[in-house]
Amino acid sequence: MANSLVTALPHPEDQDLIDRIIGDQAGRPGALLGILEKLQDHNPHKYLPMETLEYVAARTGVPQSQVYGVATFYALFNLEPQGTHTVAICRGTACHTRGSRALLERVKLQLGLQEASDGADKLTLTTPDRHFTIRTVACFGQCALAPVVEVDHAIRGHVKEQALMREVDALRKERAR
Amino acid sequence: MTEKVKVRIDGEVIAATPGQTILEVARANNKYIPALCYMEGLSAVGACRLCMVEVSGVARLLPACTTPVQEGLAVVTSSPQLQSHRKIALELLFAERNHVCAVCVSSGHCELQALAQDHGVTHVRYPYNYPRLTVDTTHPRYVLDHNRCVLCSRCVRTCAEIEGAHVWDIAGRGIHSRLVSELQRPWGEATTCTSCGKCVQACPTGAMAEKGWGVEEMTKQPAVLSRLTSMREGQ
Ligand code: SF4
Ligand code: SF4
Ligand code: FES
Ligand code: FES
Repeated sequence: MANSLVTALPHPEDQDLIDRIIGDQAGRPGALLGILEKLQDHNPHKYLPMETLEYVAARTGVPQSQVYGVATFYALFNLEPQGTHTVAICRGTACHTRGSRALLERVKLQLGLQEASDGADKLTLTTPDRHFTIRTVACFGQCALAPVVEVDHAIRGHVKEQALMREVDALRKERAR
Repeated sequence: MTEKVKVRIDGEVIAATPGQTILEVARANNKYIPALCYMEGLSAVGACRLCMVEVSGVARLLPACTTPVQEGLAVVTSSPQLQSHRKIALELLFAERNHVCAVCVSSGHCELQALAQDHGVTHVRYPYNYPRLTVDTTHPRYVLDHNRCVLCSRCVRTCAEIEGAHVWDIAGRGIHSRLVSELQRPWGEATTCTSCGKCVQACPTGAMAEKGWGVEEMTKQPAVLSRLTSMREGQ
């Protein structure tokens, strides 16, 4: 497991932010979900650090285990820092039969990423330099365009290996500049 | 005095209190419905699907532990369809994790094992999942073996509702669901655990046990916990 024991508090500025977000949501049904969503959105690396979860639990009075349960139940939450660029590859039936697996393997190879075999539902891999995150998606609901890949929130349909590699390469070079 | 409602369980007319569940009414009247995640004194969550019953006029099976009774409700607690369904549910529980009764502290006292025996589960017809799971031995007095956990959440509810500590919850979803203490902290480092051992007593399998017992040696008394809640309610 990636997360280690939490002892540290979030940065004081972050504490203020968390307090404000909790205040805004307080009392609403399902408030925790909204709080976590906002916090992840505000995080520069689009994830929920353990000390944030611990602080939220302390502030809202929701047991830590329940906060953790919610944060791990919804695929939208990340517990690991995300890369600057995200490549989301569909693993749904339509995309799978149209070769999305090969796309995934190719990009993984290209970025030198290896699958950690913890068998999680969604696969999320981030390069050590945090430039790229690749993740899998169960279905984008765009099956007619299979195989579907989302690059930085833009949907691409009928994706070919070469085109995808070129695009990833371009994003990689952008950083070198 | 609240109005009673009349329900029929396996043909017998029974007067029940509105708000009671089918399972509660059945138990109070010595009618057997198998149950695993249900524990008297805790909220019911309908997690194990072993208590499914047939209700006339309803096409699908309903969980007895979470279905409240209504006037005129007619329930069948046992039928070939139900037996087959319960057997499948049990087999899937075995296939999901690594249950090796021969080396389990709770063998002979395990609710899952007893239910399997009662339902004539002699073998599992589905491929085993063989997940790679951990054993948390960090608590000075207790162990948690995920290999034997059926995710019934009895420990979760016991700790939250009876002890008031809420150390446990279920993380993840589907086949990847796991019991977690706090933010995935080792049990021994959990800051909210009072080491009362109630969760261990509530656990129907060998997933939670006291340290120091050998194979077949761990017995538990969930009924004591149930009595505790009824005594508190009576106050
Ligand atoms: S020992 Fe008591 S407080 Fe600790 S986890 Fe179990 S039920 Fe909760
Ligand atoms: S540890 Fe025991 S009581 Fe807790 S969810 Fe697993 S089987 Fe149920
Ligand atoms: S299966 Fe890929 S978009 Fe539906
Ligand atoms: S006892 Fe009813 S679903 Fe488990």
